[in-house]
Amino acid sequence: MVWHIFKKDWKLAWVFVLVVSVVHWIDSAIIYKLGRFDEDPMLGMLADAVPMLGFFGSMFLIGAIVHLDSIPGVRQDWLVRPISRWDLVVEKFVFVVLMVNGPIFAEVLVQGLANKFSLRLSLAAAMWQITFLLFAFTLPLFGFASVTRNMTQAFIFGCSCTFIMVGFQTIAGYLNGRAHGTLEAISWSGIGWVGETARFALSVVAATVILGLQYFRRKTVFARGMVLLFGVALLATQFIPWKAAFAIEQKLSPRPGTATSVVFAFDPKLEKFRSPSGLRASSDQGRRYNFGEHTSVFLPLQVAGTHHDAFLLTDLVEVRLIGRGGKVAFHGRGESLELADEAPDSLTYQEIQVPTSIYRDIKDEAVRAELNYSLTLFGLRESYSIPALGGDERMPGFGWCETKMNESQTAVELRCMQPGKGPTCATLFLENEATGQRNPARMSCHGDYSPYSGWYFGDNMAHFGANIPFRDASGLAKYPVDGPQLPNSRVVIRVYRPEDQFARSLVIQQIKLGDWEAQ
Amino acid sequence: MIRVENLWKKFGRFDALRGLSFDVPDGSAFALIGANGAGKTTTIKVLMNILEPTRGNATLLGVDSRKISPRELAQVGYVSENQDMPSRLTVEEYVAYLRPFYPTWDRELEASIARQLRLPLERKIGGLSHGMRMKMALMCALPYRPKVLVLDEPFSGLDPLLRDEFMEGLLEQAGEMTILISSHELGEIDGVATHVAFLDEGKLLFQESMSDLTGRFREVHVTLEVEAARPTPPPKEWMHIRTIGNVLTFVDTRFDERGLTERVLSRIEGVRGIDAQPMALRAIFTTLARAARDGAV
Repeated sequence: MVWHIFKKDWKLAWVFVLVVSVVHWIDSAIIYKLGRFDEDPMLGMLADAVPMLGFFGSMFLIGAIVHLDSIPGVRQDWLVRPISRWDLVVEKFVFVVLMVNGPIFAEVLVQGLANKFSLRLSLAAAMWQITFLLFAFTLPLFGFASVTRNMTQAFIFGCSCTFIMVGFQTIAGYLNGRAHGTLEAISWSGIGWVGETARFALSVVAATVILGLQYFRRKTVFARGMVLLFGVALLATQFIPWKAAFAIEQKLSPRPGTATSVVFAFDPKLEKFRSPSGLRASSDQGRRYNFGEHTSVFLPLQVAGTHHDAFLLTDLVEVRLIGRGGKVAFHGRGESLELADEAPDSLTYQEIQVPTSIYRDIKDEAVRAELNYSLTLFGLRESYSIPALGGDERMPGFGWCETKMNESQTAVELRCMQPGKGPTCATLFLENEATGQRNPARMSCHGDYSPYSGWYFGDNMAHFGANIPFRDASGLAKYPVDGPQLPNSRVVIRVYRPEDQFARSLVIQQIKLGDWEAQ
Repeated sequence: MIRVENLWKKFGRFDALRGLSFDVPDGSAFALIGANGAGKTTTIKVLMNILEPTRGNATLLGVDSRKISPRELAQVGYVSENQDMPSRLTVEEYVAYLRPFYPTWDRELEASIARQLRLPLERKIGGLSHGMRMKMALMCALPYRPKVLVLDEPFSGLDPLLRDEFMEGLLEQAGEMTILISSHELGEIDGVATHVAFLDEGKLLFQESMSDLTGRFREVHVTLEVEAARPTPPPKEWMHIRTIGNVLTFVDTRFDERGLTERVLSRIEGVRGIDAQPMALRAIFTTLARAARDGAV
């Protein structure tokens, strides 16, 4: 009877399905029309708004489909009909997946093919996208809709849940701030996907429990309790301890053991860090979890053992400053390090933002500093190049890219797209083919080691790129490869892929923080 | 077919049903009567497994209501005054949707019921009047010849013409089926019900066959030679006792012709005449309701 119920639902919901599908396809058309340089501001605005419309449309569509044979309530005719509950839940699931995820699958697939990517790549991106949406969006909302009778109830219950969620997040943010960013360490990090995957798993369990309770037992009050309970559990996944999450990431390292020889050492012989601008150095990154006034100290480090063409990225630097009597004066996060120097030994400074109140108390005191590094070693995988001006090339494994000069004629704009995930890390520079001269490399990195791709909105097409400067508008700097050389130059792209995830500890037995404040 | 045993249903702190028990004989037309809020609809919803009982059992076709499966539901017709059906489907579309769920669905019977009830098959359910919707619900409950037909306040809000059409449609197909009908309007079940159960505040006050009930209730007028006075103490079976001039009137709930005269004469002096009149169901209901309110039942 699944197909029979399906046909009834189609008769009742086809207009809504069509409207939401059209919204997704309009979104796809806008993205296609925008191309890689997003030059049309009106289309750009639409590209921001339409996906949201599609998102909310899909959300309401799931509710509408489930509410066609709603579970809570005592008036529904289907309750007194010989309709198998199993058939009903299977039909709803199939209908929701086909009518909500189906058009998105088509959107992503067509987008890939329209941009002349291979069927294999386009199909893979479409599959990843609907799989992501199934776990992150469709299943949770299906479960949620089953505990409400109609859209009004869903809206009220949804608002209540959002209120609880915002409250939880506010408290969590406050606590994380007090813990100097160590509480929600995995959020917004390269291993954030571990938490996300835990949320997917919870979503499946939650949906199974809630749908089972509703479709087979009709225990709405209990099921609503479960919604709240699982909701809190989902939120709690952001507190997954870093060590556990990073251990999973380490297990999945593509080439474990590659970084065995990497060592970190504190080198007090190096001079104090000097801010290039002359101002006290600060990092915006820390501001996400460090509130209030801070003082930055920069510890000089020697990093050795990275192989040639390697690139080192810190995923987390956990810092403990232990004062007299073994009391922990500060426990927080150090700033991220990116070590792209191709030389075998690198010198760098580890920035630590210490709350000024703590810093004042311990700056002249000998403290023990414990730094626990979680790192990823990237290895050079591929090199590509594309003409600096008017380039339009498809680079297998990287994407379809175009280049042009920016409006102020100071940089080459490189814009690329690729179905699914884009590259995690790359360095880019301009090279004159005739003379072999090169500009300094620019690094473009976003730590995301998720083994899958997909997002709530859009076409699961990675849009990425960078601006590669060749002229300093102020005239202070001179680039080896400048404007007149561009017709003979190419943008060289070096793509790095994670090879090994590993941990290192650095213990400095005695250090006076005051000695290492930035000058 | 239907049995209810010590059934309790709580909504928060409110007891909608309080130890309700009754039996519906096979092939009967069993009326559940009671004022609004007496627990009739709750009882039916528990029977249909729409609501779960707090305590006790209700069995339908020999199956505990909590365990009713599509197999049992395929043999049960249900018509309620507030049944939500997909408003954007036409009558025809919805009937076509329901057909495959019932192995015994008879399309000829369906067509004949549709003709008899004069249902606009092409009209959307959302566009039907309340009366039409009730007729439609009936039409969706009969073509598979259910063994049990459950009607929850089916006449509520129907004008007399529609009510008659509904009843004609129902009675024509009733055959051997067992009917459970709830109503607070006694006039509606008069001539339909073979058995009756009277509910008050979630409790059963009595259950009886209609013939026994109408047989044992009489409104008695006793004409006296002097001004009438209430007998003290009044017999338990006499209800709603009142006096007007030299006439004493009461409802005898254990009527038998010979015994009445003896009982009247043994209690009251100066009797000039005794007149016992059969009572309409509505009058019986009112008497019982009043007695229940006064704690006399």
